[in-house]
Amino acid sequence: MSILKSLIYLLIYPGLLFLFVYSTFCEWFDRKLYARLQNRVGPAYTGRAGILQPVADFFKLLFKEDIIPERADRVIFSSLPVVGLAIVLTAGLYLPLWNIDVSIPSYNSFQGDIIVVLYLLSLPTLIFFLAGWHSTNFFSTLGGVRVLTMLFGYEVPLFLAILSPAIVADSWRLAEIADFYQKCPFLLLFQLTGFFVAVIALQAKLERTPFDIPHAETEIVGGTFTEYSGKKLAFFRLMTDIEMVVGSGLIATVFMAGFPGNAFVSFVNFIIKTLIVISILSLIRAACSRIRIDQMVNFSWKWLTPLAVMQLFISILVKGVFWRILQ
Amino acid sequence: MKKITIPIGPQHPALKEPISLRMTIEGEVIKDADVRLGYNHRGIEKLAESKTYIQNIYLMERICGICSHSHTTCYVQAVEALCGLEVPKRGLYIRTLVSELERIHSHLLWLGVAAHEAGFDSLFMYTWRDREVVMDLLEIISGNRVHYAINTIGGVRRDISEQQKEKILEGIEFLRKRTEYYTNLGTTEPTFVARISGVGKLPKEKAIELCAVGPTLRASDVASDIRKDDPYAVYDEIPFDVCTADTCDVLGRVVVRVKELIESYKIVEFVIKNLPAGEIKIKAPRKVPEGETVSRYEAPRGENIHYVKSNGTDKPERLKVRAPTLANYPATIEMLKNGFVADIPLIFAAIDPCICCAERVVELIDVKSGRSDIMTFSEIKRKYFCEKKRETL
Amino acid sequence: MKLKPAAFIPELLRHIFKKPATVRYPFEKLKVPDDFRGTPVLKPELCIVCRACVRDCPAFAIEITILSEEEKKYKMTIHNDRCIHCAQCVESCPTKALFMDTEFEIATDSRLKLKAEYIYSRQKKTDQKSQQT
Repeated sequence: MSILKSLIYLLIYPGLLFLFVYSTFCEWFDRKLYARLQNRVGPAYTGRAGILQPVADFFKLLFKEDIIPERADRVIFSSLPVVGLAIVLTAGLYLPLWNIDVSIPSYNSFQGDIIVVLYLLSLPTLIFFLAGWHSTNFFSTLGGVRVLTMLFGYEVPLFLAILSPAIVADSWRLAEIADFYQKCPFLLLFQLTGFFVAVIALQAKLERTPFDIPHAETEIVGGTFTEYSGKKLAFFRLMTDIEMVVGSGLIATVFMAGFPGNAFVSFVNFIIKTLIVISILSLIRAACSRIRIDQMVNFSWKWLTPLAVMQLFISILVKGVFWRILQ
Repeated sequence: MKKITIPIGPQHPALKEPISLRMTIEGEVIKDADVRLGYNHRGIEKLAESKTYIQNIYLMERICGICSHSHTTCYVQAVEALCGLEVPKRGLYIRTLVSELERIHSHLLWLGVAAHEAGFDSLFMYTWRDREVVMDLLEIISGNRVHYAINTIGGVRRDISEQQKEKILEGIEFLRKRTEYYTNLGTTEPTFVARISGVGKLPKEKAIELCAVGPTLRASDVASDIRKDDPYAVYDEIPFDVCTADTCDVLGRVVVRVKELIESYKIVEFVIKNLPAGEIKIKAPRKVPEGETVSRYEAPRGENIHYVKSNGTDKPERLKVRAPTLANYPATIEMLKNGFVADIPLIFAAIDPCICCAERVVELIDVKSGRSDIMTFSEIKRKYFCEKKRETL
Repeated sequence: MKLKPAAFIPELLRHIFKKPATVRYPFEKLKVPDDFRGTPVLKPELCIVCRACVRDCPAFAIEITILSEEEKKYKMTIHNDRCIHCAQCVESCPTKALFMDTEFEIATDSRLKLKAEYIYSRQKKTDQKSQQT
């Protein structure tokens, strides 16, 4: 019986099929909200109110011609999109959906799985750099270099901000952290600074405006994705969408008390909470213009990292004050 | 670090029209730039010699879509000077009205394009939505949203009714409120200001030395405007100020253009309120007497010069166009030196490039040897084109 | 100039509740003004065949051929595929026989379908003149 449940967990919900379908829904939501903020219509004609537009885009890209540059390494160039997709799908398995029993650790919920998720979410940056490097095109190389430079900016605040609630909850396991905050939700109010730092750092990780420097369309053509077309580009775009879902799921787990309840209630919880995080991401995307790479690194080391360190201090203080009460 | 040459263009998402800029860069800093023109050459000056003066009005209009009225007016003023025609006051007032409406539409377009190059897509969508108001006003006055064709030799072709005057005043009132909001936004939004401030510096002496024109010159604190220096149409009767800024960078150019928008609203309201009664055109002769003349006009991008030489027949002998963007290219190369690669689209977009206006010469360069050549047209035909039968429709 | 972070956000949020500014062409169409310069149309009874329109058209879009000299029958062809919609022909015509209508959705799949032909004669007008004198 548990084998059947594991198979359903891996392949259907919340595994492959659910992540595929939900990421296309989130892309539609993001595009529609972004368009309405700009007084436009957004996707409108494919399916009811344009909801099938991302699916149509994916299938259209699958049918397009696939070109590999002459001097590029065929094996690495072709396998990078698939490896990237595998990485983000694996990261999605650790989100605490459908976890009935917190006391028994299983293959997808164990001590330290928050670190595994954070590590898996930093690998796509390396994949982008390798994609840009192996395209042997000047614009792609420049994009790849920019991706790594940005990594030095946002990675530290993101880690500090996401680990602060874990310190208060006294556990490195996502399911336990969510459980802890479900029991005393008022402690979440102390994590507000960390929430904003994490959202801004997530926007930088997903390479959306104001941080879409690596694939700035008007400056370096396509950046890391210049030479990718057809099936490979379709997989890269799907990978970015799923990364958005997993990233906002991670923030919702740690800062918004996870997804309590049985299978159906936690499903509804997951959708509502991730849509809230994605709305904030779309709002930031519409409200700012792109900044230069040196300004971005400046900004993250002058503002984001000190705020994250301050959030760490607050977490330690909270833990010291409430320790007796919690015991 | 080693110096490499990268090509920006002829095809590039930052450019709306083909032009080749070959930059020598070291890391992320530009050391030198080289401009190659000629991708958009259409042979307009040669074609103008085989059409009559009246047909040339519409040919001049199609040099550019955004500044179409400036080319027509400049040309028509030159021909009227050759014929010795005195255009009635009402005609001149209507010409000025359409000129200022075109300036408003061009600056709003530029604001959107600059925001898009900086990555600020929301401002791009908003300014272009407000630009629709001006396009609709121009459609009511002249019958078309682009290529207004309101000029004819000797005056204008269409008159303005009372109802149209009210609509224009309503439109201007709405646009004024929106422009004040954009001024506020453009100068206080931190990501946008960080992007455009300190970028593309052009000091005052260099701007005068390299003969920059238009808002590029005025943003370097030089108060030079053809409407004040050499007034044409009725600009000597209308009170307005020349707008300058003293920061000498892209932020200064944004400020200059937004200030010019506000001045244009004032000019349009003055023109509408003081429109004199009378005729709108006088009859012009078909054959223009011999002579040559130069006419200048302040287009939204800078100073536009037309030179017309006539020989007594109804077709011009020589017609030369010097568009403002051509005068701004040397200044652009100066601005690109010691800038960042990330700033290339913004620096280039800040001069408001209208590349098809400026294409008057083609340079033939041999790709393998890098040498440039002069060839006659029959040599080109013989060497590179083969004879084909064309079917007539 | 003081910088205000998030200066744009109130305006953005207000737009969620407004109707989009897009006109969903071709399901919704905007109305054009009455003196819009669409395609040129001839009123044959007013034409005196002075050929001013043929001379002045920048795109050589108007052609007048004589079908029969004695009966004074003429054929005017307006090549709408060459027309640039400048309305110079309307202005040059001394008898106001040409006018511009408001048709702009004239796209079709062959250039030959865009030509409008008018066959008319000047006999009626000379008849009327001889009747008056």
